[in-house]
Amino acid sequence: MFDIRKADDGSIILAGRFDASQVATAQALFDTVAGSATVDFTALEYISSAGLGVLLGAHKRLSETGGKLKLRGMKKLVRDVFRYSRLDTIFEIVDT
Amino acid sequence: MEKHFRRATNSLEGIFAFLQEFASAEGLDESVTYVMNLVVEELFTNMVKHSPGGAAEIPISLTREGRKLVMRLVDRDVDEFDITRAKKASTDLPLEQRKPGGLGLHLIKHMVDEIDYQYKDNSSVITIIKELKG
Repeated sequence: MFDIRKADDGSIILAGRFDASQVATAQALFDTVAGSATVDFTALEYISSAGLGVLLGAHKRLSETGGKLKLRGMKKLVRDVFRYSRLDTIFEIVDT
Repeated sequence: MEKHFRRATNSLEGIFAFLQEFASAEGLDESVTYVMNLVVEELFTNMVKHSPGGAAEIPISLTREGRKLVMRLVDRDVDEFDITRAKKASTDLPLEQRKPGGLGLHLIKHMVDEIDYQYKDNSSVITIIKELKG
């Protein structure tokens, strides 16, 4: 199961499993983001390269106008995926 | 355990259920289960994306051989594509030069211990081994 929603403070909350079958759903929401936003990973259990691609694409689009995505609250296994792909050097990742 | 899945991205839900069933039966820990999910998803979705004209179903087999987890996917009626010789993903580039996609095989290479590719009779057979610690 995967869930993505915008919180009242404008942050984006991810939950469950962000796999290749969820790309269209996630892309639709990230397309609505302008400026900068924080993405909350606290309830995200799994991400694959498909999910990384959506995040990287959104981050690149926002960076063209001075914005960015900031990622927070990753579990260790999810963070490992960012580390192996070296996306931890591209995104600002914070614990909480 | 072996099961065949329709060549479509929406097969993933059934695939993950199959993987979880195997993980529970074998008592695999969270870390190994994550690797198994990622390996199978990346390989399966590559087959869906790059060989749409291949056989309608893709068999996935999972076995435990002592301290090794063996994952095997067979892609029938496809052209040869040796994943062990695939171009490396450029993970050192700055943001403006990095492109979404292409990270799947890179991740697999980081997370597993052996990758074997065989091509015979128009079929690609990919075998991945993950050593089980502890």
